[in-house]
This record gives sequence, C-alpha cells and structure tokens, in this order.
Amino acid sequence: MEKNNNRLGWLFASPYLIFSTVFFLGPLIWSLYLSFTNWDLISPTYDFVGFKNFTKALGTPGVRSAFWVTYKFMIVFVPIVTAMSLFVAVIVKGLPKLKSVFLIGFFLPYLSSGVVASLIVKGFLSHTSPVQTFLRERLGLDIDWLGGSFSALFVVAMIMAWKFTGYYALILTSGLESIDQEVYEAAAIDGVKDSQRFWKITLPLLYPAIYTTLILSFGATFGIFTEVYQLTGGGPNYATNTWQMEIYSQAFKNLQAGYASAIAIMAAVATFISIFVIRKILEMWGKRNGWV
Amino acid sequence: MKKKLAVLMSLTLVFTILAGCGSKSSNSGTSADGVTTIEFWAAPNPTQQAYWQKIAKEYETVNPKVKINVSAIKESPTSEASIQAAIAGGSAPTMTENISRGFAAQLANSKALVPLDTIAGFSDIVTKRNMTKTIEPWEFADGHQYVLPIYSNAMLFGWRTDILKEAGVNEVPRTYSEVIEATKKLKAKYPDKYLWAKPDLADPTSWKRWFDFFMLYNAASDGNKFIEGSQFVGDEKAGVDVLTFVDNLRKEKGLLSQNVTEPFENGVGVFTDVGPWTFSTWAEKYPELQYKENFEVSLPPVPDGMDPANAKTFADAKGIVIYASASPEQQAAAIEFIKWVYSDDQNDVAFFQETNLPPARDDVGTNEVFKPVFEKTPVLQEYAKAIPNAVPSMDNPKFNELQTFIGQEAFNKIVRGEIDPKTGWDNMKKAIEGELQ
Repeated sequence: MEKNNNRLGWLFASPYLIFSTVFFLGPLIWSLYLSFTNWDLISPTYDFVGFKNFTKALGTPGVRSAFWVTYKFMIVFVPIVTAMSLFVAVIVKGLPKLKSVFLIGFFLPYLSSGVVASLIVKGFLSHTSPVQTFLRERLGLDIDWLGGSFSALFVVAMIMAWKFTGYYALILTSGLESIDQEVYEAAAIDGVKDSQRFWKITLPLLYPAIYTTLILSFGATFGIFTEVYQLTGGGPNYATNTWQMEIYSQAFKNLQAGYASAIAIMAAVATFISIFVIRKILEMWGKRNGWV
Repeated sequence: MKKKLAVLMSLTLVFTILAGCGSKSSNSGTSADGVTTIEFWAAPNPTQQAYWQKIAKEYETVNPKVKINVSAIKESPTSEASIQAAIAGGSAPTMTENISRGFAAQLANSKALVPLDTIAGFSDIVTKRNMTKTIEPWEFADGHQYVLPIYSNAMLFGWRTDILKEAGVNEVPRTYSEVIEATKKLKAKYPDKYLWAKPDLADPTSWKRWFDFFMLYNAASDGNKFIEGSQFVGDEKAGVDVLTFVDNLRKEKGLLSQNVTEPFENGVGVFTDVGPWTFSTWAEKYPELQYKENFEVSLPPVPDGMDPANAKTFADAKGIVIYASASPEQQAAAIEFIKWVYSDDQNDVAFFQETNLPPARDDVGTNEVFKPVFEKTPVLQEYAKAIPNAVPSMDNPKFNELQTFIGQEAFNKIVRGEIDPKTGWDNMKKAIEGELQ
C-alpha cells in the first residue's frame, strides 16, 4: 500500500519535476557551463576561458553598478511599498463592506503590463506633458525626472511600489483578518490605549505576514527589468542599471552570452546571500521583540 | 499496469515539453515539386515591406520555382536582437535586409553570414547595378563582401527656419560659432525653445551615436575612421571640438534631453538629424512642414575655420545579407532573386519612390531614371548630393560596446554637464582602447 502511495506521489509530482528539470535545472547547468566560455550566442564555435568572465565582470562599472543599484532600490522601494501596502490593508480592513472589490482594485496594477505602465509614466513625465508644464510654469520647477540619478531611481521604485502594493496588501489583509477580535477586547480590558493598539497588538500578530511581504519585496528588487528597460535603459550613468538589465545588455546587445552567463551566476549568488542575510535579520528582529 | 501507465504519462509529458522546445528544421527549403522557399525578412518599415512584398510577387510570376515569404523583422526589442535570437534558436531566415556594416561585422565574425562574393553571380549584380564604387567601403577586413548595400543615406541636419527667422536668424548656421549665436538669439526670443531637443542625446544606446556624435565628428574630422581594424585612430582635436561644441550648447541652455514627443516637428527644438525616410511620415502627419518654407536641411555644422560646404557626415547605409544556415538551394535562389531585382533600374526607381531611401548606386545623382523621384520630393536631391560626403559606420564586431562607451563616458555626460570635454574624450578613449585589446 505504501509502495503504491509512493508511486502515486511521484506521478503527481512528475509534472513539476519535469518542468523544473527542463526549465530550471537544465538552463542553470547550461548557464554555469556557458559562464566559462566566450560563446557569443550565435557562433557555432567557442573557447573555454576559465574564470576570465568572472574576473572581467568584477572590474566593470556595469556589474558594480548592478550590485549597488539593487540595494539602492531596496532602500527606496521596500519602505515605500511596505508602508503603502500596510496603509491599504488597514484601510480595507476597516471598510464596512465591499472589501474584496477594493482589494481587487488595488491588485489590478500587479496584473498590468510593466511595459504599458512604463510608457504611461514616460508620457506623464514628458517635458511637454501637462504635469511638467504645470510644474515649470506655475512652480518654476524644471525637473528632468529620468535624467537625474536619484529621480530616475525614485521613479522606477515608485512604479514598482504602485504595482506591488495591491499584492502585498492582499497578504497583509489576510494577516489582519486572522487576528482574533477578542485579543483587542482583552487588551482593552487590560488597559491598552487605542493609540497603542497598532504597535502592541496588530504589529506583533501581523509579523508573519509582514515578514512574507518584506522578503517578497526585497526579492523583487533583484528582478527589476521591464521598467528600467523601458524608462531609462539603465541610465543615467548606470544609476538604474540592475542585474537583469546588465545581463540583457551583455547577452543581447553585445552578443556575449558566456560573459552574460557569468554575470547571471554572480547575480544569483548575490541574490541568495542577500536574501539569506535579510531573512536572518528579520528573524532576529522578530525574536528580539518576542513576535515569533 | 499502473506502473506502465505512470511511465507512459511521464514520457508523454517529457516529449510534449521537448517537442515544444525544439523548432530547428533541417529542411532544405525545396519541396518535392522542386519549388524552393526563401524566407526574406524586410526592414520593419511599412514602405520597405510593401516594396519587397510587391517585388517578390513579381519574381514568383517570372520564376515559379521560387517562393519568397516576405515578412518584417520583429522590432522587439530591436531588429538586431530579433535576428540574433532567430540565429541562436535555429530559425534564421534565408536573407534579411536592414543590416548595417557594424552589425554585419558582428554576424560575419560569428560565421553566421555567407560571403556574397563567393556566390556565383554576385559580381554581375555589382556591375549591372552600377555600384562598384559604392560597395568598395563595404569590403570587410577578411577581403569578403558580406552585405549588398541597398540604400545609403547621407544623414543631414534639419533646421526649423520659420522659428529661426522669428528669432532673427535668417541663414542656416553652418559653423559652431554661428550655431551658438543662433542659440543665443533663439533663447532671447523663446526661452522655452531649444536648439537641439532630443531625448537620445542622454541615452547611451550605441546606435544613437550615429545620429549625433558621428554626424558632428565626421564633419569635424573630415571623415576620420575613428576605429580602423582593432585600432582606435580617433582624431582628438576633432573629438574635443565636437564635445566642446555640445558643451557650449548646453551652457547656452540650447539642449533638451528630457523625454518629449517629436520636438522638432512640434517646434520645441529647431535643429535635429533628419533621414529621408522622415518625409513620407511628415507628409501624412505634419503636412504643414514644407521644405524651403519652414524647414531646410544641411550638412553638419563644422568647427570655425573649416569649410562647411563639403562637410562629411554619417552614412546610414544598410543592405541585404544571406545567412549561412540557409540551404545551398535557398542561397542560390536568394542570389538569383537579388540578381533579378537589380538587373532593372526601374526596380531601384520604385524603391526610391516608395521609401525615399536613395539606392546605394554610383549614379543616383546623375542617372536620368531617378529624375521623377527628385521632382516629386525635391529635398531628396540634398541627400543624393551628399552621398560622396557620407562616411559609413565602423565594421568592428564590437561596435555596440565601443559606441556605448562614446555615450557613457563622454557624449551623454557632456549633455548633462557632468564632465569637461577633454576629460570626456580621454575617458572614452581609455574605455574603447581597453575593449579593443
């Protein structure tokens, strides 16, 4: 009986295993192999170059910027998206009815195309757009949003925040809904003031959901591509050059598939280490406050 | 039984997935009834696509043993990337047009192209089409010809003479000091207008340098090659002059690199690079823009002391290539098709009429057959006249990285006022030489 169950288990798991082998493990091994070659994507022949791609990558401004830009995005994007999604979740939770309708509304940007959103923002920030004209003529502010290092990064981070807020709000709303109302009532009896409710009750009990959204939002910064590609191309002066942008540029603009694979491997290592460290910090934070 | 079922299901899944992944065809392109099918990717420009579809249909009636499927190269993300992806995926077409010299060098370096001069009948095309001189600079370092140039645009700068006149500038500026003077007058009259308004000025994408830096640099250096083989041979004085000119325009608030929709057409800027393909768009979208009435075109401005009348400029020239992955039958059929197209001058006339792109021929300015085209669109005469002044792009396979450095290290930074011209030039030179090693 147990043997049959095992077989059935393997059968049900096989689509995922096959999918992972073909679309994850296979490409990963292939990418690792390519990272030691100078293959140019289309040439029938190539040579093994050892660790040359990795040493070259470490010395280029493109890769160095990709490394740091990711953390700069984190600093801007994570607090904004967390605050916005928490705000949305709290507001939606307090609604007397039609909660799911509002949540769907906030969730829609997550389903929308990053290309379309970027193009709309591009038009919105165009020199001759009504917004820019208003800022220039009425307030004397002539801002080149996509031409300044910080402003370009900020614009991309804001688009990302707009896109992800609804998704994270959904997770946080579920967390809020799972908090038993009796906890608040008991706390009130124990003398917890209304102004302390959020910090003393909601935040600790919401910690698992916040932990999830924080990990997801930190992780999202390692995969930024569409918005950067459409709006800034990684500029100005590498200010928005993400890992994905650098990999794309080297593989498909400069035809250096081997070198791009080396960068992809480096990006993966940076991502795993960063997420691991962030997880540990968040867990320590939770433990120190007695939330887990 | 259950075990067999499980194995069968697993294998079905594997083969279904793998079948979806594999699309490589070993088809020779010739069917049992002897009809050879050619896949021809035309430039992603409606007029060029229409031209090739029409001409392919005509050829099929003359030669029923060949079927030509004409489709536009996908532009997402770029036509070059689409071609590269197709080659990498084993689904390259037989032939494509829209190939620049630099991109051809990349492809040739990867053994993706057929050296056209090794195919019988290629020299006949060159002779019959009267393009012996035009094709000379297209020879690659290995002595082969990989591209048959179709058109050659000597890129010119357009001037909004209507706005300039309102600002008190009655002649098109031809030297750097004249341009700066015109900028001062323009800003005095219209503080919200710019001499050169173009978001690309601050964009490091490599090909964008053809239409700003190289146009000015070719004029300032009298056509210096910039990179020859794997050597950087840039003319420092000319390069620094160009960057200083751009820097001076910035200081006069004459540059706008923010995103703005069609700034020249909408009058936000009064100066910009203009290719001959633009005029058919303007005829439809901006009919008020009329040559000699409110705009003119000219060769690039030159540093003071140089003769602006014969300034060199950038040649936006592109052509047809045949891919090495095509079967011998397809390659032979492709060259026969090209031979047939260029055996009749009227096909070049039709191309010129349809696309406004001057055919890459030695006699485009003198051959009477092109007269009706110039009569219909007089501004094209300026492009034909400038063909001898046009310098093609570099043929280095690393052109993409090299030209990106021009923007990243020098041009874009100058536009944003982040660096001085000499330092910009030095940084760019260092980066380029590092890449060439």
